Amino acid sequence: MSTSSVADAPSPATATRPVRGRLELDIGVRGSRSVASRQFHEGALRVLRPHYLDNSGQVSYVVVNPGGAYLGADLFVLDVEVGDGADLLLTTQSATKVYRTPGSFAEQRMTVRLGEGARLELVPDQLIAYREASYRQRTHITVRPSSCLLMAEVVTPGWSPDGAAFRYEEVRLRNEIQVQSGTGEPELLALDNLLIRPPGGDVTGLGFMEGFSHLGSVIVVDCRVDQALADELHRLTGAYKALSGISLTQTVAGTTGLVLRALSNSTGELNRLLTACANLLRERWYGQGPLNLRKH
Amino acid sequence: MLNTATKHQLALQQLTDSALPTGAFAHSLGFETYIERELVSDERSFGLWLDAFISQQLTHSDGLAVRLLYERWDVAELDSLLSASLLPRQVRAASCKMGCRLLEIGAEVFPSAELELYRDLVTTHRAAGHQPLAFAVVARSLGVPLEEALGAYLFAAVTSLTQNAVRAIPLGQNAGQRLLRQAADGVAAAVEQIRHLTPDDFGAVSPGLEISQMRHERQRARMFMS
Repeated sequence: MSTSSVADAPSPATATRPVRGRLELDIGVRGSRSVASRQFHEGALRVLRPHYLDNSGQVSYVVVNPGGAYLGADLFVLDVEVGDGADLLLTTQSATKVYRTPGSFAEQRMTVRLGEGARLELVPDQLIAYREASYRQRTHITVRPSSCLLMAEVVTPGWSPDGAAFRYEEVRLRNEIQVQSGTGEPELLALDNLLIRPPGGDVTGLGFMEGFSHLGSVIVVDCRVDQALADELHRLTGAYKALSGISLTQTVAGTTGLVLRALSNSTGELNRLLTACANLLRERWYGQGPLNLRKH
Repeated sequence: MLNTATKHQLALQQLTDSALPTGAFAHSLGFETYIERELVSDERSFGLWLDAFISQQLTHSDGLAVRLLYERWDVAELDSLLSASLLPRQVRAASCKMGCRLLEIGAEVFPSAELELYRDLVTTHRAAGHQPLAFAVVARSLGVPLEEALGAYLFAAVTSLTQNAVRAIPLGQNAGQRLLRQAADGVAAAVEQIRHLTPDDFGAVSPGLEISQMRHERQRARMFMS
């Protein structure tokens, strides 16, 4: 079943714009460790020297944007491949800040492919959209039925000079996850499309942000995801000051997604909640200790 | 003899009658969670939820799916997009349950080659059978113009939800009618909005509605399946 017409059509406004930063990273296995088998960067994106945060062999890379921020018409392109059996933790050095983008928008396009038994923990710092900012993030992930994916994200409104939140124009975060089994066409598992557009109407109230200012999301895709895990994570979220919900996606080729959404008034609280979920899975599935992102 | 417009209007009335046995009476699509949290408790607060539901979910999911089907997108592709983008499990199940009933009813009273094709995809597990697509396939086969089909579909959804709210909150019957009259403006705005959406907008929902739909799975006492 083809899904490419929605997935890959670049919006006309961005089709020809120059790429401000590009990063390509391929991870493979050497001995008992995951290592970069290829990396390429140009413009305002690069990675720091890799780290091994524990003895699991998981390699950890930190993405850096030396420019410090995303501005109007900026386009950032990331391409990540985690090969069969490889294990990558990918984070950022600091928050992604989107400043004024008059008449345009900043955009990040990320493509990720996970091989058989490959694992990716994608845990960027929060996104901060300031006054008059428009930002679009498209993440397109292809997993195998035996891959393990965890992605966590927090969206924070930047405060405007008059102290009011939600002065940004638009934030779009679109995650598309498909499953490649065998050699056939990949099948769409989940399309997570978040759109917050404050000028279009009051986004603060019932049905929208429910009186909260910050939004957190976790997506897990793994053949071990089931209702019992969703119930357990739901109990875990009860300890945090956030309004959260968890549900399971459809099952495609034996693998299932779990989606957690949470609203809160604090980045710290959401980060603790999201990290607690990630830690439970790290311990249960990989015998790893808690996520400890020493930012270098 | 009836002219074509009258014929398709009568067909639309049958398709969108709240007595059409698709089981819409069993779904709140998330508003029951707000009732439990005591955030929806009267005519005004249900109206707020209904406005949000029309401008988000009904516009970016159901409505855009109907439009794209009319624009000859592949029904199997649209079906897979709905299955992927309706992330709360109960809402996904509701769409398929009501959609499959509509396909059955449609096959008996409004048979067409297009409807048979979609039913065949569903019975052979190549599609899930979502409500807006089942409706759009039938409406298009009857020659109903897009805008009319959209308005009828959205208002039918709003009517079922309002009747369910009248029972659940509960509200007076007249309050229900006032809500429907008010929701007509929201539906008209949605029909206009849907014309301008791009495929990038497909399935965009606001976090609050979605969280409530997810939390409904764990609500202890509930009248509705979603």
